[in-house]
Amino acid sequence: MTSSQARFEASILATPEAISDLTERIMTFLDARGVEDRPTHHTALILEEILINLGMHGDCRHHPARVAITVEPEKVTGEIVDVGPPFDPRLAPDPSIDVAPGDRPIGGLGLYLVKKLSCSFEYARRNGENCTAFAVSRGDISEEGEAK
Amino acid sequence: MEIRDESIGGTSVVTAIGRLDGGASAAFAEKIGGLIANPNPNLLIDLTGVDFVTSAGLRAVLLLVKKVKAIGGSFALCGVQESVREVLDIAGFTAMLDIYPARAGAIAAMTG
Repeated sequence: MTSSQARFEASILATPEAISDLTERIMTFLDARGVEDRPTHHTALILEEILINLGMHGDCRHHPARVAITVEPEKVTGEIVDVGPPFDPRLAPDPSIDVAPGDRPIGGLGLYLVKKLSCSFEYARRNGENCTAFAVSRGDISEEGEAK
Repeated sequence: MEIRDESIGGTSVVTAIGRLDGGASAAFAEKIGGLIANPNPNLLIDLTGVDFVTSAGLRAVLLLVKKVKAIGGSFALCGVQESVREVLDIAGFTAMLDIYPARAGAIAAMTG
């Protein structure tokens, strides 16, 4: 496999329908390159959460975001570049997850899932663009279901 | 996403098939929310056919839970796949929801 074969690139207007279509295509891409089910699922979920957030709070329903997914032996990496206002997703507050349903606020879970499912989550503002990057481990799965 | 509903022994059983993501969650919440009409409803959602749930799907589930609980009803999930279970675990949903392995056991517990 060449490096070009292991890289997926796309531009996307961040509507829910387009995001669903893109993440399904990426899952097919990762499956075809032998990526395990769990990191494939995590990659698609993380990408969906970041793009949904950009569609809601950024400017990506009108200006497309650029997406790149790369398969490496130990991990899958993702990069999302958008021209929206500066936003560091790592700084989003975590939701309260240990409260009763009636008291629990709606929302705030998307970027929390990204933080929990990724093994790295980075952000930089470069040349007027938000550059968000993440990685998902392809490591062994322990008995508790956590990636080592 | 495909959504089917039926009534079994006084429990509204919803079968969902497909991805519960940002593209499907609004219709999911609206359609199932429309089934919650009577006081003290029993609502069971069978997720056997769902292998992808995002935060938008979790929000839809939470909205339904709040609606059911507000009128004194019971809410449960069954048939949760491992990939979905992990997301529910992280979000704290497994600690606050009744989740059963299979439909029959869920209905028995909800109506027993």
